[in-house]
Amino acid sequence: MSDRSDGPSSAPPRRPAPPPAVDLLRWPGVGRLLRWRHARTLLQIPLFAVAVLMIAHGWFGPSLAPKNLATTLTWVHFRGALVLVLLLAGNFFCMACPFMLPRNLARRFIRPRRNWPRFLRNKWLSLALFVLILFAYELFDLWASPWWTAWLIALYFLGALAVDGVFKHASFCKFVCPLGQFNFVASTVSPLEVKVRDLDVCTSCRTKDCIRGRREQPRSLVVLQRGCELALFQPRKVGNLDCTFCLDCVQACPHDNVGILSRMPAEELTVDPLRSGVGIFSRRRDLSALAVVFTFAALLNAFGMVSPVYALQGWLAGILHVQREAPVLGVIFVLALIVEPVLLLGAAGWLTVKWGGGRGALLPTVVRYSYALIPLGFGVWLGHYGFHFLTGLYTFIPVTQSALAGAAGWPILGEPLWSLTGLPERMVYPVELGLLGLGLLGSLLLTYRLAADDSATHPRRVFAAWAALCILLWASALWLLSQPMEMRGTFLGG
Amino acid sequence: MWPALSPSFRRCVTAFGGFVLCAGLVLAGCERRPEPQPDILVEHEVTPDPPRVGPATVTLRVSDAAGQPVSGARISLEGNMSHAGMRPVFGEATELEPGRYQSALEFTMGGDWVVLVRLTLPDGRKIERELNVKGVKSG
Repeated sequence: MSDRSDGPSSAPPRRPAPPPAVDLLRWPGVGRLLRWRHARTLLQIPLFAVAVLMIAHGWFGPSLAPKNLATTLTWVHFRGALVLVLLLAGNFFCMACPFMLPRNLARRFIRPRRNWPRFLRNKWLSLALFVLILFAYELFDLWASPWWTAWLIALYFLGALAVDGVFKHASFCKFVCPLGQFNFVASTVSPLEVKVRDLDVCTSCRTKDCIRGRREQPRSLVVLQRGCELALFQPRKVGNLDCTFCLDCVQACPHDNVGILSRMPAEELTVDPLRSGVGIFSRRRDLSALAVVFTFAALLNAFGMVSPVYALQGWLAGILHVQREAPVLGVIFVLALIVEPVLLLGAAGWLTVKWGGGRGALLPTVVRYSYALIPLGFGVWLGHYGFHFLTGLYTFIPVTQSALAGAAGWPILGEPLWSLTGLPERMVYPVELGLLGLGLLGSLLLTYRLAADDSATHPRRVFAAWAALCILLWASALWLLSQPMEMRGTFLGG
Repeated sequence: MWPALSPSFRRCVTAFGGFVLCAGLVLAGCERRPEPQPDILVEHEVTPDPPRVGPATVTLRVSDAAGQPVSGARISLEGNMSHAGMRPVFGEATELEPGRYQSALEFTMGGDWVVLVRLTLPDGRKIERELNVKGVKSG
């Protein structure tokens, strides 16, 4: 990363001189809406209502996944829309997060007094929860179970309430929420960022309301406007990591100096300054692990839906002499998320150290380059979730028709049009390939930039090691997406 | 110190729970599902066996509690994958002989399928059965 040689700096990072092409908050209509004090609540209310309906339908509605709102909206529409919005705009799903609505309501009546434990102020817990959700998805066939899907949503509400009911600030978002971590990592390649318009204005600012918030009186307990609950001090904030787009900083800034600005996607991954509320990327092993798991889990999650996974499961079950799925899945997860990354990144890192002239140790080198895999990982998530979203685009229509017909006793919206699905696979497959290619291109550009910074004499050699890794992962993803899908809930004797 | 729950907060939690419950009752309470009809037995057979992606034939034997074939029923089939968002497939069964019906169905994707069989009996009763067709092979 280009700033690495200068070491961590306490000075605010330099911003490009020309003004950004887009400042969403200055757009007519949208900008005015987003600047409104209650904009976030307005966005959260419909998603909250939909989430409640999903829970209710999941618990009490049809048990068949394609007929149920919980499974259809969660596993087809929500995931796909999430990654597409992250690609095209930014972390707007965290902005409209329905789980925060009851939490914000609760915060009106209870005032948490505890700080999040110091030893948990990292991403390890949320990373473990992220893997746990992926594991549960495979083990309990969540895609096929409205009941379990509804419980997952309900537990999310309870978890957010419990954590933020006890601990101050946005502890749940920053340190616990696995979905949020996914969004944080993916949003590093988003084209929009909440950031300061003019740093000079911040330099002369005395109040720092964007981080401190505003109170009725200086020592009053009555908060008029929250500052950033995720400890991101705007003038020193770099990139989208840990930013929920809550826009508290926009509301708090007395100088109207914070906007939603356009930027070069993934540019934040090419620099390594001291980031407010985050620290220095190259020293954050937890963040690096999150980036690696984000990338390899994309492949693992896609692997779970093609037929070779059943052959592998059957083979492993034979070796382990087990008939239960959990230990077999456990072995696959360990292989895919620990053994494979350690071997592949270790080899690329070792070559980098060797060919780069011996600058730096192996682990810091791997940590630094690991962030360059994010675009590729995101490309795989996009390809996979985009496939389900686009091929099942219209399926929410008959499911909603059916749910309402069931509730009212007569077809309010007409008889369910079950033949409505989405775009044909032959149209979606090229889109998948394009997204995957875009991810590969992003990762190659990032690794080349890092290699050029690292080795003045042999940048191409260093680049070759990481490029080979990226191409290997891309080829694996390509193979996975070209496999016929085989969505099975059973693998032994199924 | 653990936060104390104020009465207002309890009211909010109660209101939230009530909302969830009401939404559930509205959606589920009125959900019309055909009553199980234990006096009607539906046995099925899918060919090819094991099932593969492509055309398949579903043969149904419908009999009453006494084991007598039920003739003259109208039967429609709807095949869904276990994953939401996939295109369902449909079929209409024809009666080959008393109590024995057959329908063509095309499995468009590998994996687990659930076939909903909707029968309208000669006396007008409507019943529904779910047939699990697991592990449809891709190749």
